[in-house]
Formats: sequence, C-alpha cells, structure tokens
Amino acid sequence: MHTKINRLIHLLEDGLLVFTLGAMILLALSQIVLRNFFDSGIEWSAPLLRVMVMWLGLLGAIAATKQSNHISIDVVSRLLPNKGKAISAVIANLFSAVICAIVSYYALQFVLMEYEDGMMAFSGIPAWLCESIIPVGFGLMALRFLLNIGSSVKLWAPDEPNKQQQPPQ
Amino acid sequence: MEIFLTLLLIALAMMGTPLFIIIVASAMLGFYMSEVDLSVIAIEFYRLAEIPILLAIPLFTFTGYLLSESGAPQRLVRLTQAVLGWMPGGLAIVCLCACALFTAFTGASGVAIVALGALLFPALMQAGYRENFNLGLITSSGSLGVLFAPSLPLILYGVISQQMGLGEPFSIDDLFLAGLLPGILMIVILSGWSIWQGKSLPKIPYSTKALIDAINESKWEIPLPFIVLGGIYSGYFAVSEAAAVTVVYVLIVEILINRDIKLKQLPSIMHESMILIGAILVILGVSMASTNYMIDAEIPSQIFETIQEHVSDPLTFLLLLNIFLLLLGTMLDIFSAIVIMVPIIMPIALEYGVHPIHLGIIFLANMQIGYFTPPVGMNLFIASHRFNKPVLQLYRATWPFFILLLVAVLIITYWPALSLTLPAVF
Repeated sequence: MHTKINRLIHLLEDGLLVFTLGAMILLALSQIVLRNFFDSGIEWSAPLLRVMVMWLGLLGAIAATKQSNHISIDVVSRLLPNKGKAISAVIANLFSAVICAIVSYYALQFVLMEYEDGMMAFSGIPAWLCESIIPVGFGLMALRFLLNIGSSVKLWAPDEPNKQQQPPQ
Repeated sequence: MEIFLTLLLIALAMMGTPLFIIIVASAMLGFYMSEVDLSVIAIEFYRLAEIPILLAIPLFTFTGYLLSESGAPQRLVRLTQAVLGWMPGGLAIVCLCACALFTAFTGASGVAIVALGALLFPALMQAGYRENFNLGLITSSGSLGVLFAPSLPLILYGVISQQMGLGEPFSIDDLFLAGLLPGILMIVILSGWSIWQGKSLPKIPYSTKALIDAINESKWEIPLPFIVLGGIYSGYFAVSEAAAVTVVYVLIVEILINRDIKLKQLPSIMHESMILIGAILVILGVSMASTNYMIDAEIPSQIFETIQEHVSDPLTFLLLLNIFLLLLGTMLDIFSAIVIMVPIIMPIALEYGVHPIHLGIIFLANMQIGYFTPPVGMNLFIASHRFNKPVLQLYRATWPFFILLLVAVLIITYWPALSLTLPAVF
C-alpha cells in the first residue's frame, strides 16, 4: 500500500516537472513567434510563465530532496566516521522536515486567506491556485525529509543486513 | 538566547542541513521575534513568480544539460584544437577556451570537468605535459566561464541586484558585456602559463583540412553564441526570450539534425537539470524573506558603520572584500553565495563608491577561484573523483593556477574600467 502511494507520488511529481518545463518552452516560443511575425500575443502568457517558473522551482526542489541533492555545506560530515555521519544526517533531515512542515502550515494559512479574499492573479485565474504549490511543495518536502531519515539510518551500520527494519523507500 | 540559536543553526548547517532550510529557519526566527506573522515567508516566496527574467535560468540550464549529453563537447574540443592546437602550449589553451565556452552555457562548473576533462586529460598526458599541470589546468578551467554570458551566476547576480533597486540601475545585458574583458584577461594569463609549460614540447602542425572538417562537423553549434548574444544586443529579444530560442534551437539540432539525443532521453535530462534549478530557486525564494528581514533590521547599515570606523578608503575596503569573498568561496557554492551575501555586501560596497556592475564582476571572479581553493573547493573533489587522484595531489596541482588567477582578480578589482568600459560604450 505504502509503496503504491509512494510510486504514484513519484510519477505525479516527475510528470508534472517534465510537463511544466515542456509547456514553458512552448509557451515562451509561441510568445516570440506571435509578437515578431503576427504582431500579436496572448495576454496571459507572460504572467503564466512567471508562475510556472516558481512551480518548476518547487517541483525541482522536491526532486532534489528525494535524491538528497540540495545545496549544503558539507564540511563536518565529510570528516566524521560512519556513526557520526548517520547521526548528523538523521538530525539534519529531522530538522529540515520540521522547518518545511512549519513553512507549509503558514503558507496554507496564506493561501486560505487569499481564497477567502477571492483575489485574481491574472485573466480570471484565482491567486490562491497559483500560490497553492507553496504549501503543497513544502509539505511534500517535509514528507521526503522524513523518509530520508530511513536511508540516513543505513549509514550507521553499512554491513549489517537489517532490511526489514527500514521504512519503505 | 539569540546568539545560542544562531550558533545552533550554524552547527546544523555544518552537519549538512540544506542551506535553504537554514535560511528559512533564521528568517522565521527573526520574524517570530519581531512578532510578524510567519505567513510572510510564503508571501515573499511568491515573489519568485514576479520576476520575468527568472525564466532564463531554467531554460539556459536545460540547454546546458542537453549540450553536455550530446556530442557537443567532443566537437567543441576538435574545433578548438583545429583552431588553436598549432600554438606552443596549444592543447592546454584548447582546454582553457573549450572549458570557458562550455561553462558559460552550463553554469554548474562541475559539468565542464566531467564532460570535457575526460576528453582532454588523456590527450594532455599524451602530448607530454606534466600530470600535475594537467590536473591543475582542468580543475581550474572548470569554473573559467563564469564571467561569460549567458552564465547562470551572472544572471542571478543581475536578478538579485535589480530586486534590491540600489545604486545606478543597470540591465543584465550590461552585466554580460562587463564580464567579457575580465574573463578574457583570465584566459590570457592562464594561456601565458600554458605556453611557458608547453614551450619545449613538440608542436602539432596546423592543418587547413582538419579545420574545415571540424567546422563542418560543428556547423550547427557554431551559431549558438551568436544566437544568444546577437539576439540580445540587436534588441531583437530579451534575455529570457533568447533563452527560449536557444533551447528550441539546441533541441532541434541535437535531436533532429545531429541525432545525438533520443526523444526518450528527454524526460531524464529535464529531471536532472531541474534538480539543480530547484536547489537554486528554493534558496532564492526563501532568501527573499530573509533579505527582507535583514533590511528591516538594518543589518547592512550596522555592518557598514562598524567597518567605516576602521576602514575609510575604498582601496582597503576592496582588499578586505577580496579576502572575505575568497574565504566565502571555499565554504559556499557560487549560487548560494550570491543569493545570501549580495544583499548584505551591495549596500556597503555602494557606500564606498563601488559601481554595482563592477561589484558583480569582483564577486563572481572571487567565487570562481573559490571553486578550487582548499580545503573544500567543490571542483577539487569533482576532479579527484573523476581522475581518481587524492585530493592532496590536487591541492598541489592547483596552487600555481590559484596564484595566477589571484593576480587576475586583483587587476579586475583595482581596475574598474576593465569591467565598466564595454557596458558604457554599447
């Protein structure tokens, strides 16, 4: 069950990432073609492109979390023995999960507020919809950081086969 | 209490906590203490969706990843070899120029070492250069293109400084022009060293046939710099539009014409490149909030007042700035350094009369050296891993290059005209 949901989330994240980048390229190109050759344009394409950049940033950040590929200063843990590495990775992931969860919670408050205000972002698209990726993105990252703790624990004793104990990856 | 929490955050950063978490945690701490509702983090993060030029960042990065997955690196090496290979030290100069061009497009400089170093290292060994010279050359070339358009660090510096809205307004196009001469200065200095190293080695004869073959082979990639820069400077398109045209052009060339990349490879290349973009943009997004807090708390002006008590002339300030940036460059990668430090340093530097464009070039030039400064310069580890040599050997191999580029950085710092003449003329 867990792994199934996990795989579904994977597919959704990756699909959304590829789709967003592809759509951005096509939209940006059509903007140039329309302006230079037909002297016209799509009114909503510029604001939509800007919102898509933010979406892409968060989707990429989720993918970076999944592969533990975020930019970090890796001075101390490089020098530590395995047990130290495991402890510092568990602490770092736990702390990151907590912080992401807090950001997600307050971002949700912000989005709900915008929903009640009924603000429009552009061309009849409500602002809350554009902003909704912030709580969702940080929420998913919080989840990913929690899951990463499982693989951090593996660093503790790399030789011992204790596969059953690990949470599903 | 505040000091304790700050130290705790630093400790967490050293343990490998992602930097964006540290930044957002410190911003939340600051806002919490000033009793500002924490929703402000999301409001500031949403500013990512209000900066038109940001579009250029994912598009150029994807282009860079496409190019490195295609046969472009091999063709680039063959072309520069045909053009420059006959000179004394020719092959080493080929390495410098090819890496610089490639880094300008890929931004993330490790890519140049992995993609080009693998081709050039055996060739350099075979031509008879010393092993340590070759290792140093490739490791330091890996960050050489940072000052050339359309490199990501240049765009990022432009974005941040425009957001600050301080000093004389300037455009990203101006920054692109400003980086040109300082970047060439670095290549010229390192080429001089290469010629010295290669002076007693047998020269490779020049061949017109090889040149024509190489041009023919890369005829579709040669127009790339002209599409990017020509498009921008003719006023035909904006920087983000140039990025869109470039990515479509490269997609057509590498998939349909050269057939180096298969359609089914695209999703994974997109995925790989967007991990880098996500890592950069999420830091940028959360630092919008922390910068806002720092400016509200007047942190830059407090630092300025402290420095002003001890340092009155701009020259001493610039020297201190160089030392600080070099140290910073060993700890932080270029992207987070720009996002975190530019909002603090820029107001201070402007008080000392440093031009914002010049400051950007100084900043990037220093960070570029930081890529291979011991003990933790990122490229040292990438090269150590790629060529299977101990990191200590790379420390020894890179120090002559460190000294030479340091000279270049000092010239760039104390000769503002080198950076500012081209933007003023065009």
